[in-house]
Amino acid sequence: MPFKLIVNGREHTLDVEPDTPLLWVLRDELGLKGTKFGCGAGLCGACTVHLNGQPARSCSTPVEMADGGEITTIEGLSSDGQLHPLQQAWIEQGVPQCGYCQSGQIMTAAHLLATHPSPDREQIVTAMTGNLCRCGTYPRIVAAVESVAGGVGQYQPAGEGA
Amino acid sequence: MSMNRRDFLKVSTSASGGLMLALNLPGCASVQTGYEEETGEWKANAWLELTTEGDVTFTLDRVEMGQGTYTGLTTLIAEELDVRPETIQVRFAPVAPEYRNPLIGLQLTGGSTSMAAGWQPLREAGASARWMLVMAAARVWRVEPAECSTQDGYVKHPNGLDSMPYRKLVELANREVIRGDVPLKPRAQWKYIGQQVGSRLDAEAKSTGTAVYGIDVELPGMVYAAMTRSPRYGGKALRFNRDRIRAMPGVVDAFVTERGVAVVADRYWRARKAQAALDVEWDFTDAIALSNEDVFEHYRRATNDDPGENERVEGDVEGVTANAEVLVEAEYEQPYLAHATMEPMNATAWYRKDMMEVWAPTQAPDLGRIAAARHTDLSPDQVTVHTTFLGGGFGRRLTQDFVEEAALVAYQVKVPVKLIWSREEDTRHGFFRPAMLHRMTGSLSGGQLTGWDHQIAGPQVLDWYVRNAAPAQYPWAPKFLYSTLGRVGLLVEGIATPKDISAIEGAVGYPYNVPNIRVRHTHTDPGVPITWWRSVGYSHNGFAVETFMDELADKAGEDPLDFRLRMLAEEPRHRRVLERAAELADWRQPPPEGRARGVALFKSFGTYVAQVVEAGIEHGEIRVYKVVCSVDCGQVVNPAIVEDQMTGGILFGLSAALYGDITFDNGEVRQSNFHDYRILQMHQTPEMVVDIINSEESPTGVGEPGVPPVIPALGNALFALTGRRQRKLPLKA
Repeated sequence: MPFKLIVNGREHTLDVEPDTPLLWVLRDELGLKGTKFGCGAGLCGACTVHLNGQPARSCSTPVEMADGGEITTIEGLSSDGQLHPLQQAWIEQGVPQCGYCQSGQIMTAAHLLATHPSPDREQIVTAMTGNLCRCGTYPRIVAAVESVAGGVGQYQPAGEGA
Repeated sequence: MSMNRRDFLKVSTSASGGLMLALNLPGCASVQTGYEEETGEWKANAWLELTTEGDVTFTLDRVEMGQGTYTGLTTLIAEELDVRPETIQVRFAPVAPEYRNPLIGLQLTGGSTSMAAGWQPLREAGASARWMLVMAAARVWRVEPAECSTQDGYVKHPNGLDSMPYRKLVELANREVIRGDVPLKPRAQWKYIGQQVGSRLDAEAKSTGTAVYGIDVELPGMVYAAMTRSPRYGGKALRFNRDRIRAMPGVVDAFVTERGVAVVADRYWRARKAQAALDVEWDFTDAIALSNEDVFEHYRRATNDDPGENERVEGDVEGVTANAEVLVEAEYEQPYLAHATMEPMNATAWYRKDMMEVWAPTQAPDLGRIAAARHTDLSPDQVTVHTTFLGGGFGRRLTQDFVEEAALVAYQVKVPVKLIWSREEDTRHGFFRPAMLHRMTGSLSGGQLTGWDHQIAGPQVLDWYVRNAAPAQYPWAPKFLYSTLGRVGLLVEGIATPKDISAIEGAVGYPYNVPNIRVRHTHTDPGVPITWWRSVGYSHNGFAVETFMDELADKAGEDPLDFRLRMLAEEPRHRRVLERAAELADWRQPPPEGRARGVALFKSFGTYVAQVVEAGIEHGEIRVYKVVCSVDCGQVVNPAIVEDQMTGGILFGLSAALYGDITFDNGEVRQSNFHDYRILQMHQTPEMVVDIINSEESPTGVGEPGVPPVIPALGNALFALTGRRQRKLPLKA
């Protein structure tokens, strides 16, 4: 049975098994490798994307649950060649070490700022603490989100419910 | 071994007419490679290439796994070549003897060696290239080269008006000859080294999802594999419900391998679903059957039966022990630990007639080549290894089992195949930081520490490593010799392979001035697969040594800081970091209500680190409020990366101190994923202060040294808080 997904503004029809996690559809069917596989159980957040405006763990979201949905991945966060302010902040603050978890970190932070434009430190930590980083980049993640907090205007996650 | 610039750099012309600087192995290489020395013609060993189009390409011969080589080593080239670091294109090195780590003799990244090894030769490569460009410009202008200067990729005329870009000079520069006397920039002229400039050079790729890790490799017609390994290490798959599995949707093939049962499908999820339907019959004849209690029981028996090898002896420990006023004895237990890299183990391989290509996030591509060739009809030089970015390494990716698996599946299916481990497989089938037992005896007389007796019981990592490492040192050796080489590598330790210090590192370097010292190692291996783990021996020796120092200070009735400082009179660099950390942590002032502080000091990989932890217990859980860290790693190349490696090391160590525990139950690992093999989360992250000592000593590594002190410092803080000494990790509230 084909599924319809709107990914980063483009519509795709996909013929995959309904229990296939959205993660593998994004990565292997659509070639969007920026979303990472970390744990397969929604425990680490490396696979975080926005599904209908909400952060979702794509590793444990069957594609049938996302049918007809609007999805934003790290590749869709920037538009017109302009980096998202969080991506800019990530670069300026030198956040990534190994970098593997950072797509998921940035997607979680982007949702936070889209819904709470001026979070305080506690709100940032509460929103971000489900995203694991083995290199321990947490202090720089907080600094990067704080540097952008209050200044994000242009990006809104696709879909409703944001 | 000192290397003269003239000896190890060679210049040649690239295919496009550009300037190429290559690394020339010194003739006195300690390891017989079997390779013919290449002359003149550039092969795969280039370090630095400048093209007539203005591109500068640096071949990074150490991998980037988060520790910052991509930025740090490129900065060295940029500084001496006088171009902005971000204008240099970085490519990951292929396998070639020229890219071996000179401090190790293999092409691997580990042991916090990259900066120490690259510091001199990379700056000299950059300086030589710059000098040739200046010479070329001086000839054109008919001026003295010494009067020309350079800036951001241009040579400037002495008249201060004219300048020429490097790209216009590279063809002329090719005719220049490298002399042995190109001076390096004086410290005062450094623009990038030690400066807080720019970001990490890989930050943009890693913030936009475009950095390519092993798991991201994509090839035409690629299929996906899942491997089911024996639930108990050492077991062998005999047979499985092959007909049923092969009939499942998308399944391309399913077969028994040396590593378990491989299921290959057109899509990864289909491989996983078919894997879930597997019914495998195992032969557990050679499989481990131990439980955790057995491991430590085994160590205790070994410690009693075998006094072990003396690794350091000064004075007469037994004599002083027999006559001690106060004798303090303690035994420390430390568990197996997993690496839990965020990117699970994976590799992609493509076998074609007489060749194989492998794409892998590996810390040791030349060992990967051996592992890939092992179960095929190929010799290692028919295997090409492409190294990608690594989603964490921490030592796990020095062991090449994941490469071996992908290669043997590719050899069977003859199309490109990507093998990805699940998180559960990654946790359960790892090669672990060894569990270790430490027996300590301290003699106090008149408040003075007069005797230090340290017995370490546990395995050596090299025993598990030589399987691929020994053949990698002799790549010309026929494959039927691999197992022999592995054994020989051990027998002639210190000749073909370095002495294995993995069990004793940090213990033999005990820095305190004590008249009678003995450090022994009882070599005993329960059979659990092990490998290096961020700071390795220093991690368990750090806990044992620095916790026991705290116990002795307590028994001597002295402040733990003063107790240590008193015995460091002849160790200025140790003293300095310890004093700095204590001062910045307000050691002499009482901690806030409900909190206590602990201190620890440990030198590892040439780098000195002292840390003070401020901790408490809240709602029945250990809470770390603050960690102050002072580090002396010699000359700092990139202060931000040093700080990152210290804070990252602290959090890595805290994860181990609070949660790290791989336990065995009848040979099977109990843990599986991040819920039961926990790592620190953001809300548990303490305030961290990193103080970097301003030093002009040669740079030493920073990837690992942040880890060892934090574990004992936390334990010592909890003792100060509760009066209860914890001698077993992980720590409990």
